[in-house]
This record gives sequence, C-alpha cells and structure tokens, in this order.
Amino acid sequence: MKKILLILLFVHNIIFSELIIEITESSENLIRVAVVQKQQATKIGDLVVGVIEQDLKRTGEFEVLTKDQMLSIPTKESEVIQRDWLLLEVDAIIFLDIDESRNNLDIKFLIYDVGYKDISDDGKVLGLPDSLRQTSHFVSDEIYKYFYGIDGVSATKLMYVTKNENIHRLIISDSDGFNEQVILKSNQSIISPTWSSDAKDIAYVSFENNRAQVFLHNLATGKRESILATGSTVSSPAWSPDKSKIAFSSTMDGNSEIYLMDLRSKKINRLTDNKAIDTEPAWSPDGKKILFTSDRSGSPQIYEINPINLVKRRITTVGNYNARPSYVNKQKIIFVHRGTESFQIAALDLRTREFEILTSTKNDESPCIAPNGNVIIYSTKEGELSYLAGVNISSGVRFKLPAIYSELKEPAWSPFLR
Amino acid sequence: MKNFLIFIITVIFLYSCASTNVVEVENREATTVDITQSEISNRISNVGLDLGEPEIKIFFDYDEDALSEKSLVDLLEISRVLKDNERYTLLVEGHADERGTREYNLALSERRAKAVEDFLVSAGIIPVRIEVVGYGEEQPSDISSNENAWSKNRRAELFFVR
Repeated sequence: MKKILLILLFVHNIIFSELIIEITESSENLIRVAVVQKQQATKIGDLVVGVIEQDLKRTGEFEVLTKDQMLSIPTKESEVIQRDWLLLEVDAIIFLDIDESRNNLDIKFLIYDVGYKDISDDGKVLGLPDSLRQTSHFVSDEIYKYFYGIDGVSATKLMYVTKNENIHRLIISDSDGFNEQVILKSNQSIISPTWSSDAKDIAYVSFENNRAQVFLHNLATGKRESILATGSTVSSPAWSPDKSKIAFSSTMDGNSEIYLMDLRSKKINRLTDNKAIDTEPAWSPDGKKILFTSDRSGSPQIYEINPINLVKRRITTVGNYNARPSYVNKQKIIFVHRGTESFQIAALDLRTREFEILTSTKNDESPCIAPNGNVIIYSTKEGELSYLAGVNISSGVRFKLPAIYSELKEPAWSPFLR
Repeated sequence: MKNFLIFIITVIFLYSCASTNVVEVENREATTVDITQSEISNRISNVGLDLGEPEIKIFFDYDEDALSEKSLVDLLEISRVLKDNERYTLLVEGHADERGTREYNLALSERRAKAVEDFLVSAGIIPVRIEVVGYGEEQPSDISSNENAWSKNRRAELFFVR
C-alpha cells in the first residue's frame, strides 16, 4: 500500500511540476544579506535556510551571500566580526534559531544590521507538522517587512487556470509555485477565479453546463454550488470584503448588467440599467464602491458605482479600451488598457489622475494585485503560449512564471493567510 | 469601573512589553473536485447538445455586433427555413476573438448572438424559437494570434434543432 502511495505521489509530481519564477529585471538597490543558523547546521535547518534565501532572491530586491562567500559563519550576534562583513558589503545578517524539538517546526529569527551593529527584536513563527516551507515563508515575509516596511507575500497563495490537452484545471499553489493543488478539473473553460477575504472560499465561472455560471466553492471540503440557475449567462464574480455579498454580471434581463446578491437572504439587487455591456465588478477595499467596465460611451471604459445609492462616475478617459479594473488601494486602480497596438496593464491614481503603463509585454490580461498592494501578476501571451508575468510597483522588479503548461492564465492572488 | 481601567492599563503594558512578534501557521489543505466524467447537471436547453456543424456562421468586426449586408441575406434565408419548418428551433452561439478581457468578450459574444436573434425576430420569428448563448473567447475556431484568425473567431454560429 505504501509503495502505491509513493508511486502516486511521484506521478503527481511529474504531471504538476512546479512553476519556476524567473526574475527578468532586478531592483537597482539590492539589499545584501547572509542567512545563518544559530545552532549546529542540520539537514532541516539547511532546508529552511534554502527556502528563505530563495524567497528573498525571488523578490528581486535582495542579494543573498552563499556560504563560500562568507569569511566566517557566526552562530550568535557576539561572534560577528563587523570589519569582515563590511568588507563584503553585507547590509545585514539574519540569524535563524530553528527548533525541531516539537513535532512542529518553530523558527525564531533576528536581524543584525552590520553597519549600525543594531539587532532587531526577536521574531517567532510557530509551524505545524509538515509546514516547513510555509513556516519559512512567514519568516521571509517578516524579514522583507523589516527592510522595506511593506508586508512580504512569500506566505501567500496564487490561484490560476491551466489548460493541457483540453483539460482545464483550477490550481492553487504557494506564491513560489510549490505545493500545487488542483481545486477543479473540467472539460470546459474556467475563468475569473477570485478569493473570499478569509481565503477559505473561492468563486469562479465554469462553463461545465455549457453556459457561463458562477460557482462558490469551499476549499477545505470541495463543496460547491452555482449561485443562480437561470437560463442565462452569470459571470464575473466578486466577493464583498466582508464576504456577505457577491457582485456579478448577468444577461438575465436581456443584456449584461451588474447585480449584487446577499449571500444569506439570496436577495438580488440590480445595480446598472442600460443597453450597454456592464461587467467586471470589483470592490473597493472598504466595500463602499464598485468599479466596473461599461461600453455605454461607445468603447469599454471604467466606471465607479456606489452600490447603495447607485451614483456612478466615469473613471477612465485616456484610450478607447480600458477594462477589468481592480483597486490597488483606495486611491489607485489597475486595469487592462489598449495602447496603439497592444493590450497592457495600466494604473491610474484616482486623486492626481496620474496614468501609467506598468507592463512592457504585449497581449496582457487579467491583472491581479498582491495583498500588500505592491506586486501585480497578470497573464500574457507569446505566440500561442500564455503564461504569467509580474511587476513590483515600488522597485520596478519584473519577473515571469514560464509556461510549462500549454496555457497558464487567470491569476488571482490570495489575501494574507494569517 | 476602576477595575476595568486597571485591566486596560495592564493589557497595554503587557502588549508593549512583548518584544517577540509571533506568527502562527494555519492549515490550508484543499480538496480536489474532478468533474471531467460528470454529466451536465441542468439540461434545460439545447445548449451543449452535439448539433454537428453550424448551419451558417455570421462574422463581425472588432468590438462590433453590427450585421453586415451579406449576413442579412443569409439570415433572411434562415428565417425562411424556420417559417417553412415550424418544429425547428434555432441555437445561436456567439464568440469573440482573444483580444481584450475575457469577461468583456463574454458579454460581447452574447451581444453578437443577440443581434442575430433580434434580426430574426424582426423578420417574423417568435423569440421562443431562438436560444442564444455567449462563449466569449473560450472556443476559438483558429487558435493563432493574427488578424486572419481573429476575423474567423469573431462569429455567431447558427444551429437548427430539428
């Protein structure tokens, strides 16, 4: 029995080989660090160090010293010979104290600032059995926050859709592409996956009944239900931040309009009413406004509506194709913008009206924002292959998740998982 | 009241003393749902039936749902067949090319199918005999990324259900 299980695991790994993230453009100001263990190095300790080093490198904002580059390997702060580390131009040494004594793996860490000889407060991450990678990711995120003042996103998850030989898979993986879990496997398209604010449920559009329908899906149990069984298209789901409502688009009244469903009473409110296409609703972080795409002016443009009093205003004015909006924060939005020849991801500051094109690839679609509001992942296409690419707003770091599937699309970044 | 105040002060004090920032990992396992073998659950329409090749295809311009003159001639012929065969119904599937966002394309593709329906209704066919569905950019007839493929993919496909 054990043998069969092992073989199954092995096959599973072949089919779903993990995504590899490739940095295509690094930050100009890299922070140089060394990651060391406070005790005698162990096998597990080395694994933890490896995950954290990879996490930091993957941000494109850190440079990590290898053991060979170090002149000495301190196991506590008092052993640090400042001169050596200044010579190596190291900004900080990260000390890990890995406790394997419980069944769970716990990691304590502190950051030694080489220049100032300053030591950070202790941080501690309490793990679960078999959570070595996730526990390490939380440490990476604390380290990231110490240096950049923004929460790291190593310990978050990504959801995306792959297509291989006409099988569509909705997949959730760690943000580094490891631990892929297939959530839904279908013969028909799956689009517009989205997370609830507590990351316990998701919503998406499935064509499994040959017509677009919105499903709500509990991740732990796999229990799923379609929100509305009308004979018409129901699409583009978006959970309200408090998880009590779902905004969606439907053609149940003739053409595509935006609706709001209260998930407890199942009561539906219609938010838009005109002959144009209204779709792609997206909630503001405070749940008070909804962005959507409408072609009521003759071309797709982005509008904002107050779901209580239904007051609307047009947001985008530059260009003749602006769609699929989402809020980065209360003040900034991102969306798909058509330039002279190609579709790219753009950002607009709602207060200053500053407009900026963020991506340098073509055919860019489905932008989603990391929960720290600073990294965007989107899908793009080269030839017949679609794959995911990303950009860090503050540092300008660019990366891609190369296509190992024939198609990789519709990314959705999870909220923080704590 | 006094006790309450002391309690608050104590809590704040304890909180500010705690220099260790503790994070706990949560278990987030998920279940796989495989529906590749399952039947369509709500067969309430002709959508999804295997109806073979479409009777005709109507093509559209980029981001447009307007019917060309040639399409109008083809659709008049379709309306004649429907009038001559009162038991026939019609399924109209709308499609879009890959450019632009998936959700907008879904709505656009359905609007194309609806434009076909609206014309047939104006030609005297009762609406209950026509069913429309939008597939967006999900079912391209040519998967290449060039103008030739896109022009083939911006289409409505019409099927008689006999």
